[in-house]
Amino acid sequence: MVAHPGSARVVRAAGRLNEPRAAVVEARVDGTPTRVNRLPVELVREEWRVVDRWWTEEPVSRRYFEVVLQSGENAVVFRDEERSCWFTQRGA
Amino acid sequence: MIACLLIPGFELRAALRKQPGLALRPAALSPVAGTEPLIGPVTAQAERLGVRPGMRLGEALATSPELVLVEQDPAAAEQAWEDILRALEDSGFSVEPAGVGSVYFETRGVERLYGGLEPALKRALAAVGTAWDPRAGAAQRRFAALAAANVARPGQILVVSDERLSDFLAPLPLELVPMEPRRRAELHELGVKRVGQLAGLPGGAVAERLGPDGRRAWGLARGGKSSRVRGRRPPAEIVEALEFPEAIGNELTLRRAFGALVETLMARPERGARFVRKLALSARLVGGGSWRRSATLRDPTTELDRIKAALGPKLAELPAPVVELRLELVELTEHDGEQLELLPAAGGEVDVRLREGLRQVRASTGSGSVNQVVEVAPWSRIPEARALFVPRDD
Repeated sequence: MVAHPGSARVVRAAGRLNEPRAAVVEARVDGTPTRVNRLPVELVREEWRVVDRWWTEEPVSRRYFEVVLQSGENAVVFRDEERSCWFTQRGA
Repeated sequence: MIACLLIPGFELRAALRKQPGLALRPAALSPVAGTEPLIGPVTAQAERLGVRPGMRLGEALATSPELVLVEQDPAAAEQAWEDILRALEDSGFSVEPAGVGSVYFETRGVERLYGGLEPALKRALAAVGTAWDPRAGAAQRRFAALAAANVARPGQILVVSDERLSDFLAPLPLELVPMEPRRRAELHELGVKRVGQLAGLPGGAVAERLGPDGRRAWGLARGGKSSRVRGRRPPAEIVEALEFPEAIGNELTLRRAFGALVETLMARPERGARFVRKLALSARLVGGGSWRRSATLRDPTTELDRIKAALGPKLAELPAPVVELRLELVELTEHDGEQLELLPAAGGEVDVRLREGLRQVRASTGSGSVNQVVEVAPWSRIPEARALFVPRDD
């Protein structure tokens, strides 16, 4: 038996851009971060909340902080209030 | 001889492959969304309870309240049918498909290969596989072969010679002859319920009373024409699919993903310099069903915008959110001359340099290292839902 020529199937998996990455964050009692990935936070520039998809089985509830680290690097971190853990994210 | 290989209720069988337990229960193929609520093929158990293919949905459920409706899966059926056609072609049969579940082929060329007509037909049934319950009929004429395949039992071969043809066709039910339901009902009212009764009527009178459709049916009842079987050209089958991290229902998002698929597919080296004549777009739907649309272009083309314009609007017909979108080049034609540009378009050189740069990146880092960013929901408040990256290997 000879296989059919020209059979070429490709399935590619599309990925998400700016997927959140787990981060080690220390925070004050009021929830503002003091250290991000062991680097001290110099300044909290902005803070906002994203609450979305509450009507689905995968609701999104996040508290975002845009911070400046002691190294001078800008970073965006958020606390996922559904899972109670911290993430960093680009493109926020 | 012309042979016909038939798999009754193919769409239902293909849909039941995912849930084989239902094959032993009363089940029927659900109606297509947006069309008249008539059920498709039914299982043997459903038939035993009085449910018939083509019944109104309400009537079928009233007849058998335990009837299970099986969702249509056209992409799976198309794929399974294509696999069957390829298995037949691999065994040496030049096939002419007549819709999903029915195929004709000429046996003359393969009779010597397999040692006669019956061994050749047995080989064809074996190529399809017993799981599909195929049956085969052979005759000098196409309609007679179809009728023989309809009468044969699963796995059986029925050969009808031209001398026996009218005796064979005469007692068969009129339902075997394709014609408008209105014409069939008219014939039933006149007491014509068998093929032989229709064949016995004078041709001129049938044409006068039932029109061209009736005249055609009358011709078939007398055996039909012995037209030649034209083997198909095997499809090119260059397929590109995109799996989404979550079900996508937004048309704009789907259009963008479709655009990325067109660009990647058209850049595939297997296409060479050939032009696209026919394409098919299919989708795996959330919840397990599937959807498929194909388009034949009036003029073969390689222009991305024309291809997008031909298939893009069909995305609006999607009945549910999509977890995988798949685009295939079904038919390609050879290069038939093209007017070249006198001057290269502005930006052409930059494009060439960019492609060369990407080629070098890919060569050093491997397949999947170059991606295209496709904006899918730029308005979303969730950053990772705004864009996808799609691997590009062109």
